[in-house]
Amino acid sequence: MPVLWLFILVLALGLIGFVLGRARALKDAQGDIRLLHSLPSYYGSNVLLATLIPGFAVLVLWLIVQPMVIHGQVAGMIPERGLTDYGSLNLAMSDVRRVADGLDIAVEQGALSAEQARDIRTEFTDIRGRLGEVGVALGSNVQPYVLQAAQTYRTMNATGHWLMTGAVLAAAIAGFAVAFLRTGKDLRARNSVERVILMLLLSAASIAILTTVGIVLSLIFNTIEFFKLYPATDFFFGTTWAPSFGGGSELGILPLFWGTFYVSLIALVVAVPIGLFAAVYLSEYAGPKVRAIAKPLLEVLAGIPTIVYGLFALLTVGPLLMSVFGDGGLGWMQGGRSVMTAGLVMGVMLIPFVSSLSDDIINAVPQAMRDGSLGLGATKSETVKQVVLPAALPGIVGAILLAASRAIGETMIVVLGAGAAAKLNMNPFEAMTTVTTRIVSQLTGDADFSSPEALVAFALGMTLFVITLGLNIVALVIVRKYREQYD
Amino acid sequence: MNDMRIVRKDVDMNDTKISAKGVQVFYGDTHAIKDVDVEILDKTVTAFIGPSGCGKSTFLRCLNRMNDTIDICRVEGNILLDGEDIYDKRVDPVQLRAKVGMVFQRPNPFPKSIYDNIAYGPRIHGLAKNKADLDEIVEKALRRGAIWDEVKDRLDAPGTGLSGGQQQRLCIARAVATEPEVLLMDEPCSALDPIATLQVEELIDELRENFSVVIVTHSMQQAARVSQKTAFFHLGNLVEYGDTEQIFTNPKDERTESYITGRIG
Amino acid sequence: MSDFTADNGPAKAAGKSSLFTQTARTKRRNAAETRFKVYGIGAIALGLFFLVALLFSIITNGIPAFKQTFVTIPVELTEAKLDKNGNRDPADLAKVTTFGYKPLVTNALVAALKEQGIEIPFAKEKDVEDILSSSVAAQVRDTVLANPDLIGQTVDFRLLASSRVDGYFKGRVTRDSLARDKNLDAEHLDVADAMVKAGLMKTSFNPAFIFGSDASESRPEQAGIGVSMVGSFFMMMVVLVLSLPIGVAASIYLEEFAPQNKWTDLIEVNISNLAAVPSIVFGILGLAVFIQFAHLPMSAPLVGGLVLTLMTLPTIIISTRASLKAVPPSIRDAALGVGASKMQSVFHHVLPLAMPGILTGTIIGLAQALGETAPLLLIGMVGFIASNMPDGIAAGFLSPNSAMPAQIYEWAKRADPAYYERAWGGIIILLLFLMTMNIIAVILRRRFERRW
Repeated sequence: MPVLWLFILVLALGLIGFVLGRARALKDAQGDIRLLHSLPSYYGSNVLLATLIPGFAVLVLWLIVQPMVIHGQVAGMIPERGLTDYGSLNLAMSDVRRVADGLDIAVEQGALSAEQARDIRTEFTDIRGRLGEVGVALGSNVQPYVLQAAQTYRTMNATGHWLMTGAVLAAAIAGFAVAFLRTGKDLRARNSVERVILMLLLSAASIAILTTVGIVLSLIFNTIEFFKLYPATDFFFGTTWAPSFGGGSELGILPLFWGTFYVSLIALVVAVPIGLFAAVYLSEYAGPKVRAIAKPLLEVLAGIPTIVYGLFALLTVGPLLMSVFGDGGLGWMQGGRSVMTAGLVMGVMLIPFVSSLSDDIINAVPQAMRDGSLGLGATKSETVKQVVLPAALPGIVGAILLAASRAIGETMIVVLGAGAAAKLNMNPFEAMTTVTTRIVSQLTGDADFSSPEALVAFALGMTLFVITLGLNIVALVIVRKYREQYD
Repeated sequence: MNDMRIVRKDVDMNDTKISAKGVQVFYGDTHAIKDVDVEILDKTVTAFIGPSGCGKSTFLRCLNRMNDTIDICRVEGNILLDGEDIYDKRVDPVQLRAKVGMVFQRPNPFPKSIYDNIAYGPRIHGLAKNKADLDEIVEKALRRGAIWDEVKDRLDAPGTGLSGGQQQRLCIARAVATEPEVLLMDEPCSALDPIATLQVEELIDELRENFSVVIVTHSMQQAARVSQKTAFFHLGNLVEYGDTEQIFTNPKDERTESYITGRIG
Repeated sequence: MSDFTADNGPAKAAGKSSLFTQTARTKRRNAAETRFKVYGIGAIALGLFFLVALLFSIITNGIPAFKQTFVTIPVELTEAKLDKNGNRDPADLAKVTTFGYKPLVTNALVAALKEQGIEIPFAKEKDVEDILSSSVAAQVRDTVLANPDLIGQTVDFRLLASSRVDGYFKGRVTRDSLARDKNLDAEHLDVADAMVKAGLMKTSFNPAFIFGSDASESRPEQAGIGVSMVGSFFMMMVVLVLSLPIGVAASIYLEEFAPQNKWTDLIEVNISNLAAVPSIVFGILGLAVFIQFAHLPMSAPLVGGLVLTLMTLPTIIISTRASLKAVPPSIRDAALGVGASKMQSVFHHVLPLAMPGILTGTIIGLAQALGETAPLLLIGMVGFIASNMPDGIAAGFLSPNSAMPAQIYEWAKRADPAYYERAWGGIIILLLFLMTMNIIAVILRRRFERRW
């Protein structure tokens, strides 16, 4: 039975439960709802939830566990000689899956009968050709052991499915029965329904933790895999980045770090003064009208997708810089893509980020501070420079750290604007590359997670995650401390 | 604390320091101050009393143009300081505020050291020739603020670390450090406990020797204790202005009497 | 703090001076004040200048993408070439490839030029066909296969001009730049000019750019953003369906029910940190969890939607909590006071009141997700991946597709000015969507905003 039908069946069972549960409670109270502990619909919902939750829980669990179990069983059937390393097991397994799926599709389309599919032999039938007819393309001819594994895969899948259907329905019916039999006018239906809803709310909130766990796990496992293939010291202290998918790559992170750092630095040098001065002007000088126009307009810059900034860097700012610093001008620049190009554009992107965070922080400085200073005869700028900004300093530092973390993690602008050459160079008009750029280039295309050249992306991602996480935590702690100071 | 004893001190025939004529203040459409005339004398403590919302603080803030910082506020009429109209176009509010200092309701020390808090005014106005000069000004101001003995050993400690009463005396010292001619105080004791209040009140009395002090207070007892002249504001009008003794013993207007005896406000 | 030098004398002297004359020091301080203010205005002006420059380069570079140069000529669909048996059997018709159609089109062009008296300046007349896009034969073939009755007739076709001819009329290609180009000669441009004069060639609005699909790297004139727009649409459906209920449920828990304990703290810290995790890390998460581990199909909008959901959830939770917090406690007290349970007070009173704010936050979260590129590249939602519209809703979610920003990135990568033009044009469409969403959000906020 397809999963969708099972899903609908359980849902229908639940709805029947709702109607019956509600009716039973009303009957128990002789139709007088004043005798009920809760409103009638709560009795219905109680049975509904008691049916759906066990049913769906079993369904989801089964769907996650079954492929893992089958994968383990089938992988054992593939002979050692067919394998050279971890990656070729993956390849063989995907072959097995393709053949198995292909046979299923063939049966579905009527190209093969169920019996034919079960008894098919590599010796007698051109499986590749037959599957090709139903639109399943195979890379090579099917090896006997692959077909055998595929058949096991199919039978296990089929039995698994039947078992799953049984288990899901059993769980749903059991829940239904228990809840229905307990239904009576004195059952505290509202309380139990609300308890379940509360659990649902809690699990929704816990998804944030699951996401973080997912990020950490997905990074860690592949990073460990990478360090098995490539020494960690070479990765962290290597000064050359030269991946080659043929093998013999040099994967030192230092040039990427340098590129990331350099681009971010230029971005902050652009964004911090402009953002800060804009924030000061908006919060201390601008009238309500100017503020109402300028602030949202500046924030438009924050709402523009980064791909737009990337294109702006590649096609507008790059050529513009070339015309001044390139061969026709000062001769410092070889091509439109450079650290300066990406840094400038990223700086523009960060202006509203710095300005709106600083604006909030400056506004949190109590008016009494300003009055105190103005009352002594200080001018507004003296008040800002000597009282407001020092008071807001921790918060502003936090905002700048957040902006730095943004800059380090930014991808599209550097992919399009900074270039692809990994260099340790001081010239800001040189093309350099960054951690995020390399993650994109190493992982785009085929998902083959066996070579160090692909796995290195996870190690890069891990490094990126740790650095930005550190910056964020420090920034959030500083900002929170600062807020508490004036609350 | 709540005795109604009136401090009898000689009010010399002092000169007029500030003279206000026909002052009107508007906040947007609200008419906050209606046609106020008042003469504030030199080397005298003048108290503004009245129920909350009567406009006494608003009027006080007109005297050093602190109302300029509020966009919707509009002031009409004349306020003369030593015969010069402070709302004249030629007047720079920065220079005015150096002459007319202000102390606020809640103590508001800057998040800097005690020394830097006091030195702030002299520095921006360029009152000290060198470091030694500045040290001298700071010490003098702290002594005048009656807080020198408590803080002389920790001038580098942050001003925000002091107790509420100490903070307010620090703010007063900060205000006198720029050598103003008039000192405006907006309910300086409202955030303080009784003992700190007493210390600040004693300080105000000492300050009278050098400055003209204007104090806004909602406490009639405080007005009676520290001031020589009292002005009673009600609903934006200056109802009555005269010697403190006379206002509290023999008010001419029945609104003043109602307020003093506790029937309104 | 270097203001110790008081050149205008000590305090006492300054103190007795008139208010009406500014001291030299005050003048200096006021000048500093003015300078400071000018810096502030300058910063804002610079920010706004960048915005204007950005919009200007988007619009000037992108508008031409919406127009395309077309050649309208009559093409004789010779029966002898296209259907030798004459029985219009679809199987037979399908056997004639585009190579069979090509000469028909070329001949039609040559004939049309001759009829208009336009000289063909090539040794081989056939060379003039480079004026047309290489896709024209396929276009004619598709028309014929869709309607076999046309065979034997002479039909007017509106054919795409090649991207270089198109670029010539848009100013992207000049005669000088053609000198180094082996695809087209200056003579072609003379013919093209003459064709424009004769009314055979026209630059007009090109709906195919908005509704079409990406084309191979050599035919920019054919590329459109329509298919990836559909990919984006299905992704946004996933994001909306998942992130709104989950986000609201999580916010309700955290704002209304969460006890003060370690678990709640952990959730809160997690949410604020996730909001600042680089988007590419979410791409890695999607690749490892959804594709490597769960074996969901590569490049599917479903997976893209899941990744973007995880990415936008923190944003939505943060804004939803703010709107829940804005509902005053008195409403909750009132409901509790008449005997409602805590759950009832939240679902019957607080949530409906907070709904406009929640929707506003969700729309802004969606807008952010719509413009996101980096994570999509990692899960395989790159440009070129889909050349046809998905057939059916299930295919829409599961079959490989791209998304608008990823398509734009793909075009930007192709290093061809004709594709750059498409990329800018794509950005105009993307920004129009974002603008619409933001305007809806603003209207929602204005219309339903309540001040308590």
